[in-house]
Amino acid sequence: MRRVTGVLGVTLGLALVLTGCGDGKTSGSGSGGAKSEVIALAADPLDFINPLNENGSPGIQVAQAMFAPLVATDPNTGKVVNVMADSVTPDKTSQTWTIKLKAGNSFQNGQPLTAKDYIDSWNLTAEGANAWDNNGFFSKVEGYEALNPPTAEGATPKPTSVKALSGLKQVDDLTFTVKLKVPFSQFGLTLQYLGLAPLPEEVRKDPDAYKRKPIGNGPYKLDGDWSNGGDIKLAKWDGYKGPNAPEADAITFRFIPNADTAYNEFLAGTVDFVDVPATKIKTFKTDAPDGWVAGESSGANYLVMPDWDQRFKNPKLRHAFSMAIDRKALADLVGLATPSNGLISPDINGFRADACKYCNFDAAAAKTLLAEGGGFSGPVNINYNTTSATGQLFAEAIGNMLRQNLGLEVKYTGKVGSELTELAQQRKLDGLRFGGWGHDYPSIEDYLTPMFKTTGDANFAHYSNPALDALLAKGDAEPNPEAAIKLYQQVEDIALEDMPLIPLYAKQNAYLHSAKIEPRVSKYTGVQALYSTFK
Amino acid sequence: MTRFVLRRILAAVPIGLIVTLGVFALVFAMPGDPLRELAGDKPIPAAVMAAKRAQFHLDDPFVVQYLLSMKDIFTGNFGTTFAGADIASQLRLRIPVTLKLATMGLIIQWIAGLLFGLYAGFKRNGVVDRILLLATLFILAVPLLVVYFAAQYVFGVELKWLPVSGIAHGYPMSYLLPAVCIGLTGFAGLARLTRTSIVETANADFVKTARAKGLGEQRILWGHVLPNALLPMVTFMGVDVGGIFAGALLAESIFNLPGLGQFMFQAIKLKEGGVVVLLSTLAFVMFIAINLIVDIIYGAIDPRVRNV
Repeated sequence: MRRVTGVLGVTLGLALVLTGCGDGKTSGSGSGGAKSEVIALAADPLDFINPLNENGSPGIQVAQAMFAPLVATDPNTGKVVNVMADSVTPDKTSQTWTIKLKAGNSFQNGQPLTAKDYIDSWNLTAEGANAWDNNGFFSKVEGYEALNPPTAEGATPKPTSVKALSGLKQVDDLTFTVKLKVPFSQFGLTLQYLGLAPLPEEVRKDPDAYKRKPIGNGPYKLDGDWSNGGDIKLAKWDGYKGPNAPEADAITFRFIPNADTAYNEFLAGTVDFVDVPATKIKTFKTDAPDGWVAGESSGANYLVMPDWDQRFKNPKLRHAFSMAIDRKALADLVGLATPSNGLISPDINGFRADACKYCNFDAAAAKTLLAEGGGFSGPVNINYNTTSATGQLFAEAIGNMLRQNLGLEVKYTGKVGSELTELAQQRKLDGLRFGGWGHDYPSIEDYLTPMFKTTGDANFAHYSNPALDALLAKGDAEPNPEAAIKLYQQVEDIALEDMPLIPLYAKQNAYLHSAKIEPRVSKYTGVQALYSTFK
Repeated sequence: MTRFVLRRILAAVPIGLIVTLGVFALVFAMPGDPLRELAGDKPIPAAVMAAKRAQFHLDDPFVVQYLLSMKDIFTGNFGTTFAGADIASQLRLRIPVTLKLATMGLIIQWIAGLLFGLYAGFKRNGVVDRILLLATLFILAVPLLVVYFAAQYVFGVELKWLPVSGIAHGYPMSYLLPAVCIGLTGFAGLARLTRTSIVETANADFVKTARAKGLGEQRILWGHVLPNALLPMVTFMGVDVGGIFAGALLAESIFNLPGLGQFMFQAIKLKEGGVVVLLSTLAFVMFIAINLIVDIIYGAIDPRVRNV
């Protein structure tokens, strides 16, 4: 760095003259003796705060501080605990669920929190014409289609006079029932999703008017005005009576779109918590020797087999591809990653360490399997996302393994992510692509249904197996949690045998934190700056 | 002069239409679906997708989408970005940021460029001239990205003299580091041009004649060399003003300044055709205005070009 300093001597001199003097001021420590922290988010500033219309990570992180869910995962045990809910009870078929709220909770404007707030907020989100991001969640609830009439490709959706889900019924002020289209044993777990947060009546009347001054029901409220592009400052709200309140008295969310700049802000001492960007994976431990934490992410990464391409149909060929991949080497290349040996994330109830029979690296066995499967004609095309800095690198790593271990010819195609998705959806994508999935609620089912059910909305491979669908439906209808998990594990076995997706690795997330805080690290809930302990 | 200005403005209208249409076509031709890009791997329900596509007219033909964008620009009804940001309030936030950064950057660039160039030109082959040659070569050779991050690290992280990023420290503190980076990386061209122009003019016959007539060195410099050497510099500085926005695009992204450059960067990334065309139109109007001003200054300096 000395050389750079020398080279930039002129700049330095000029800067000195222009600034007069430097104050080296930092803003991370906050004011007085209050416990405050600045959390840097490497993302574009938020345009609004509305958890019902938000499923991106930065918005959800802010919403987590301002809104409280019905239930939450205990970070120590992984079990679901009630937050705003007093009880969540299924009927004996798991199709109708009764949700009873705790008494005495209110919104930050003083309005008491009632069952009607949930029903009306959910109806607002379920109405397709509002185009809110979490609309899809309600597709399981009876009456969803009436609010979302099928619209032909390219046509404008017709307004519908139906404004309420027929499956939602208010029982009394604090109790309501949710009737699902089909039995679903995991519904209770889904209620911790913040996309189901309630909005108070004044916000529901004109959501746009409140998009920059949200009224939540969580432990923090906006502190002062939130200006366009500026930091979001939150202060502890005394009215929160739920469990698991964070320690901080004040939290500032700072948005820094360039991840390397956010990292530099941390090194300069102006923020207390920052995500380690991919470019710093090799250096972050020396940059902040006493201030880093890492945790498993719930995201799993796969290689997607195109089910529409006959050349990839034979399961033996898929097993051969899987066994030709040295996952340990790939995980080392990715950095801070664990090789996958199944389809489920390790923090999920029902995870089995040895689920996958064909995920161990064995070049000789892979070659034999490929021969038994009839070989492969033509070059294997590996598609990668050009907007990802590492897409091409990982594609070439996989390609080299297939070439060296199976003797296949490999080519590569780079395209932007949405184009790959679109081509895959139209079943026109040639060859393999990368895919990833992270659960919305901590259930083994939230990996299996979206990715492997014939109608799964993240079924990137267009895979379909009626036996798997039937078993999944059986798991969904099983009220006993342990018995349901057994059924879901059988589903995972079928998926691993058919292998529409080849498991690759699970990434760990790394973060830097200042000396005054210790972020919460939990196997079940990941690394959370919001729940930091102050020293 | 009024007829000249009016003629230039009228001529700019069809060019403006061609430029904005071209920019819109380029964004339109970019691969990928902007709404899907925004959602990442998360599935979007068909009803929501259809409602969003209808809201942003994404299913309309190219020409209709372009005309709707132009209508929005002319009626001042900018709407929102795909992500939900109110475009008018974004402009209110971002225009002052970019103006402050660009002005500061340009002032640093011009002062440094003109001073070093003039001095090096007059004292040809002197120490300053040689240092300038080396320094400008170095600046032109090092990628801007490296310079920006190195400056951020040295002055923001290590020395803590200036803010690393953002505008929280207000004007001018928050703008100093990026403006100095823009100014210093941009000054090389102007300094080299100024030097060459001074050297060429100083060797011209009319200067030799002036010297032979016994005029003093100061009078030769200010009365004969400078006015004649200035012409190419004025053109260069005019182009500089247009180019400074390109520099702002990178500087604002790295130094996290919520200006038009950062907005443009996000808009291109998310394939926001309407926003890209709006910002391109703004840049185009600026460029035409600057060109007009340059032409007027040109006329003032050199009477010969007034009637061209």
